[in-house]
Amino acid sequence: MRIVIAEDAVLLREGLAGLLEDAGHDVVARVGDAESLLAVVAEHEPDLAIVDVRMPPTYEDEGMLAAVEMRRLHPRTAVLVLSQHVESRHAVELVGSGNGFGYLLKDRVLEVDDFLEAVERVSGGGSALDPEVVKQLLAPPGEGDALASLTPREREVLGLMAEGRTNGGIARQLWLTEKTVETHVSSILGKLGLAQDGDTHRRVMAVVTYLRRAAPA
Amino acid sequence: MSVMQGLRLAAVGIAAGTCVLLVLGILQVFGLIDSINADEIPLWMVPFIVVALLAPTAVGLAIAIRQPRNVIAWILLVGAFAIVALTGPDLIFTDGWALQVGRATWPLLYAWPIAVTYVFPNGRFLSRRWRYIGAAGALSFVGFMAMAMFDPEPFYGEDASVPNPMAGNAVGEWLNDSGVGLVWVVLWVGILGSLVAGALAIRMRLRRSSGVERLQTLWLAWAGALIPLGLLLCGLSSFVLGDSLVDWVLFPFLLLMEAAVAAAVGLAVSRHGLYTIERLVNRTAVYAALTVLLIALYAGSALSLGVVIGGGSAWVTALATLAVAVAFRPLRSRIQDLVDRRYARARYEGVRRVRGFEDEVRDGRRAPEEIGPVLREALGDPGADVHFWLPSAGEFCDVSGAVVTAQADDRARTEVERDGVSVAALLHDPALLERQDLLRGVLDASRLTLEMARLRVELRLQLAEVEASRTRIVEAGYEERRRLERDLHDGAQQRLVSLGVQIRRLQRTLPKDAAILGPTLDKIVDEVGAAIADLRQIAAGVRPARLDDGLAAALRDLARSSPIPVDVSVPAERVPTSVEAAAYFVACEALTNAVKYASASKVAVRAVRENGTLFVSIADDGLGGAVVRRGRGLAGLEDRVAAHGGTLTVVSPRGGGTRVEVAIPCES
Repeated sequence: MRIVIAEDAVLLREGLAGLLEDAGHDVVARVGDAESLLAVVAEHEPDLAIVDVRMPPTYEDEGMLAAVEMRRLHPRTAVLVLSQHVESRHAVELVGSGNGFGYLLKDRVLEVDDFLEAVERVSGGGSALDPEVVKQLLAPPGEGDALASLTPREREVLGLMAEGRTNGGIARQLWLTEKTVETHVSSILGKLGLAQDGDTHRRVMAVVTYLRRAAPA
Repeated sequence: MSVMQGLRLAAVGIAAGTCVLLVLGILQVFGLIDSINADEIPLWMVPFIVVALLAPTAVGLAIAIRQPRNVIAWILLVGAFAIVALTGPDLIFTDGWALQVGRATWPLLYAWPIAVTYVFPNGRFLSRRWRYIGAAGALSFVGFMAMAMFDPEPFYGEDASVPNPMAGNAVGEWLNDSGVGLVWVVLWVGILGSLVAGALAIRMRLRRSSGVERLQTLWLAWAGALIPLGLLLCGLSSFVLGDSLVDWVLFPFLLLMEAAVAAAVGLAVSRHGLYTIERLVNRTAVYAALTVLLIALYAGSALSLGVVIGGGSAWVTALATLAVAVAFRPLRSRIQDLVDRRYARARYEGVRRVRGFEDEVRDGRRAPEEIGPVLREALGDPGADVHFWLPSAGEFCDVSGAVVTAQADDRARTEVERDGVSVAALLHDPALLERQDLLRGVLDASRLTLEMARLRVELRLQLAEVEASRTRIVEAGYEERRRLERDLHDGAQQRLVSLGVQIRRLQRTLPKDAAILGPTLDKIVDEVGAAIADLRQIAAGVRPARLDDGLAAALRDLARSSPIPVDVSVPAERVPTSVEAAAYFVACEALTNAVKYASASKVAVRAVRENGTLFVSIADDGLGGAVVRRGRGLAGLEDRVAAHGGTLTVVSPRGGGTRVEVAIPCES
């Protein structure tokens, strides 16, 4: 897989590139700001761009804006945004609006296997939403809310669905069989009034969109 | 040689002529040169005559040198010269002729003062019609003197021995016999009429003119009014004290009045602003009226007592004097008041206006700063402005506290001081400078109020400055928190992540036989992860990054992290970030208190924006009884809210829950 990395902290950028290369990916470009990122993406048309939210010159949300821009100009390049803290302003919208987008806190990188899986998933057209963001989307259910009718296990499964995981991934995480997970998923979709859909990506989008509407923010 | 220089030379010539003739005349009076006229004049009169002639000459010359085209100067110069030439030394005329000319030309003494009244101070008649009046006056004087010249009557008194050179002349006899002599009456009326017209002209000018012209006219009016006034006083005193004084007093007095008119003209033209003529007029009026009334009182009481007790008694004189002494003080103040009301009306009303305002300030009905419009009214100057002195800034400011820079218009400026320290400055119509009496009177009366207003304006400015600096400090604090949060995320946290990634890479590249290190490295990375989470927590406490998304988003995050249910109802619209931060920290503190101390089971956070103010309330159902104590959580927040010009109130009845309310202005 051909990847570009945009990260202004050199040490982290090189570490990240090393991890990805160790895993057999091809890091075609490493840059430190949003402007160069857009340039190298236009040049290499990579499968995936890993982007830090805060980059020079203002350290505000250059990375996020560049991500939005890339989605528009290069829809075939998937984007994985890394952030130091939860700033979900654009993240939830981007995850809910199309495939091939991910948003993770930086320290998720330390769970290397999970991280590499998310990389694979996003570049394959799937999505990845940080558990921290999902937690915000899920809590707290108000009275009369459809979410309140879910069992604790179903809420767990819904959270993992929102993170972008496949049924297999959910099963591994919760030490369940895929069959059981499938049962939970169809129960959840039924309770929330969402269409039963075999396609994982579309299902994630539906769930995230639902949660975004339900959540007050 | 220019026209101006020619005129100046002519003026010097006339003045020199006057002086030479005057010296010759004096020599005759002292008998050093033979003269028949001089015998009539007693020696003690000489100084009076000299003053009466030199005054108009000197003033006329002074004006002519500075303003050669000034008509007034020429009236004075020529008037004095004509008098001295015709009535003075008999150089030209032999004895009889000298007496005849002297007899005919006495009206000249009055001619020039009357001429001055017509055209003073600008050298022009009041209107076209006044030219005719002037011409008629001149005709009357000339005609009168001409007819007097032809008078064939013999001289009388000491001069009876001198034959009249006109005796037996045909014209004179004919005039006397034919009844054309009745023209005398007409000419007399003409002379008297021109005197009245002169008084009228002054009066009209006083009404029509303003500023400098009015003051100049006032000077002349004052000197001119002394003449009839003096005559009246002389008449009255001679009535009371006997005839003997008339010769001794009246004539010198008239001569001095002549000098006074000339002096007044000189002052009016050159130094009108130097003395307060209005005050002089005022005092003259008061003391003249007082003297007249006291003399009348003395005469009245002497007369009536004389009838009762018998004339010539020492008792009469003593009692009449006593009556005058007793009446003096009350009469004086009463007249002063009357004159003030009549002649210094503006000052009287102006001071009264200011005093009235002072009373209103004392009663708390008006603020001292409102003195501006009061001064405008009192001074009758709608364009006047008051500026207050700011000692700290070393500048003047207007009533709103805005510093006034250099003055751009041509208004005059009068400063008000108190103990030698500037209090305020008044910008006003320059015409008021000519009315120092009014200006000073009103400003003196308002000094205390001005000082109060100045102090209040200064205090308000300083308070505003302190408030602004407090807001700046608090905002700088927010900025500092923001920077700190940024540093934590992008500095320490970033390094830890990078450290973790390196350990992970190390772990993954270890040879198989070193796999035993795996669990240890996992533990290390877990620790790094925990450290990162801690840092994230700390950064969120310093300033939640969610505040970037607005107050609503930040408060919802806060609610989610709370162990008890928090109902949040906050509009999504944004207000200035510093206001959002202040509101957020208040909500944060209140929420912490609700959980920690109040044992609340639920909390409601409400925010609403109305009329440019953000209202936030945080209400719990806990124990209540909370008090805001100095230096504790909410008290610090109270200061922070106040720095934004807002208020924080805590309602916490024991057992009735706690409600914290914040109102912060947030202009959009």
